[in-house]
Amino acid sequence: MSLRLAPPPLRSTPLRLAGILILVFSVAILAGFGGAFWVVRVQLGRDLEQQLAQSLAAYTAIARVNELEERLAEDVTAADPRRTVIVFTRSDGSRISNVPAFPDLRGTRILREGELDGIDLGEGAADSYLVSSADVPGGRVLLAKGREQIAELREIFSSVLLISFVPALVIATGIGFWAARRAQNRVEAIHGALTQMTAGRLHARVPDMGGAADDLAQIGLAVNEMAGSLAASMESLRQVSADIAHDLKTPIQRVSVLLEELDQGRDLNPAAREVVRRARDETDQIVRTFQALLRIAQLEGGGARQRFAPVDLSRLADGMAEVYAPSAEDTGHRLTVELDAAPAVVQGERDLLGQVIANLIENALRHTPAGSGIVVMVAHRDDAVLLSVCDDGPGVPEDERENVLRRLYRLERSRTSEGSGLGLSLVAAIADLHGADLVLSDNRPGLCVTLHFRGGTGG
Amino acid sequence: MKILVIEDDKTTGSYVADGLKREGHAVDLLTSGSDGLIQASVGAYDVMVVDRMLPGLDGLSLVRTLRGAKNRTPILLLTALDGVDDRIEGLNAGADDYLVKPFAFGELSARIAALGRRPQMSEEPTVLRARDLEMNLLTRKVVRAGQPVDLLPREFALLEHLLRRKGRVQTRTMLLEAVWDIHFDPQTNVVETHVSRLRAKVDKPFDSELIQTVRGAGYRIEAE
Repeated sequence: MSLRLAPPPLRSTPLRLAGILILVFSVAILAGFGGAFWVVRVQLGRDLEQQLAQSLAAYTAIARVNELEERLAEDVTAADPRRTVIVFTRSDGSRISNVPAFPDLRGTRILREGELDGIDLGEGAADSYLVSSADVPGGRVLLAKGREQIAELREIFSSVLLISFVPALVIATGIGFWAARRAQNRVEAIHGALTQMTAGRLHARVPDMGGAADDLAQIGLAVNEMAGSLAASMESLRQVSADIAHDLKTPIQRVSVLLEELDQGRDLNPAAREVVRRARDETDQIVRTFQALLRIAQLEGGGARQRFAPVDLSRLADGMAEVYAPSAEDTGHRLTVELDAAPAVVQGERDLLGQVIANLIENALRHTPAGSGIVVMVAHRDDAVLLSVCDDGPGVPEDERENVLRRLYRLERSRTSEGSGLGLSLVAAIADLHGADLVLSDNRPGLCVTLHFRGGTGG
Repeated sequence: MKILVIEDDKTTGSYVADGLKREGHAVDLLTSGSDGLIQASVGAYDVMVVDRMLPGLDGLSLVRTLRGAKNRTPILLLTALDGVDDRIEGLNAGADDYLVKPFAFGELSARIAALGRRPQMSEEPTVLRARDLEMNLLTRKVVRAGQPVDLLPREFALLEHLLRRKGRVQTRTMLLEAVWDIHFDPQTNVVETHVSRLRAKVDKPFDSELIQTVRGAGYRIEAE
């Protein structure tokens, strides 16, 4: 079980939500501004068109040529060509106009910047003009009105956007991320408590986060309640297994007491004494199996992690090999130890790790013929500490390797030899408790059982 | 010794009490935790044997209460639980030793003897003796009948443990705990093989047997 670190900011839900909200907010504001800009612009364009149409209508309404020319001459003098261009072309081609030259156009259309090149409209003329013309008595009148109002509109909207939107965005981002960070801290507190609980520290609780009783605070409370009831049910499970252990072990104790008394009685013939002896052996075996099962169940509770302390696997392996050296010699096995020079320290429970090594050595002693070699090895590999017990015996077929870790499972050929079939299950449970990977591999020939302790240190 | 046994199971209780009486101890047997607490507080006992699970007041609380009241009588806790947690919990509560059910009487008797005569913190001896054997703890040399005996460090530790407890039976599990610091039950007879190695060096070349096997219990070096 490795402790996971807090997720990177992009994967944090509150921060991501804040980011998305700010994005949506910005898009909505920009769309609103865009819409308003578009509506005003269209309206301005229409007004301009109407003005042009009205002015032209005023000219066409004048029936007499003299009067019209008089009026046009007046208007041409008054009109500023930067705003309004008036061109009256008589039927003979002569012009009255406030600009030296202007393209002769029919219908209503917009003249843009590029089309006005080479036409002198004076300093500060509009970038584009709306142009319209109409036939009048004695010629044709062309009117062009500058569209600078519309150009100004864009500038006005840009400034309004800059003044209102940017500060709003900055404030929203600031508050959004502050709120998100706050939520994030709470989420991390909850996550931290849950990680601790997963690691077996059931007393871990989400700290009181203060502030409003919002949904996260409520989740924190709910997690604490859950942890409380989990601890309570773990405790009652422990109590139940303790009761079962007590209720079953007491009768077993009685049986072994009775057998012991029977064995010490003098009026027993040798055959009966042999039966009693076998019955006592069987009781011992029941007790062993029973204790191993209880131990595995207890280990799976994970509570032992609370007592983890640094353990030097090299020293432990050396000590265990020394314990088994005479036994190995008696059964004709060669038991050797291969250790790295550097100490191999892992976080763990010394007794349990010692039992792992003992079980693996016993397994090898039991399942390999005399003359076989058994190597206990502790090594460093990358970031991990490896503990392995390898033999050169008959090994375990590949398709059976998963099975041998199962409780009470025994290979067909091992049925007759002693052992509870729980040795490797216990090893697996202890490995799991320590977050170590248990790997069974082919030693060509023989079996290699290796525990990979990740994150072990050399010092 | 005067021993108080608090055990609610009648068969186990009378087995323990009868066995201890046969060995010459004065034994009181009680079946409930609350009665046990009262009796433990008023009677001056040398050793108490307490079952961990008792009606009325459980064994662990009883031990805690007694220790809280500055009662220092050595206590052996009997239990059906044998996880590492349980052992440490029992010892932390203030028990002096811990025995998992089912147990052989020999084991119980040896542990009670060890508790009743805890080594006094008197002067630390530099030489341990048994008959014609001498162990010098400073030079770490062993001599028997004038001949040096070469021992491996662990064999030396095993012999030293037995010599320091001369006359008292040491069971296999007691030796595993004290000499090898192993608190689980190996399925191989590791203690037997180590003792037989030690005997091959200490006893075999000489005419008398120093390390005795006590049937159904363990090993002992006879006190003179």
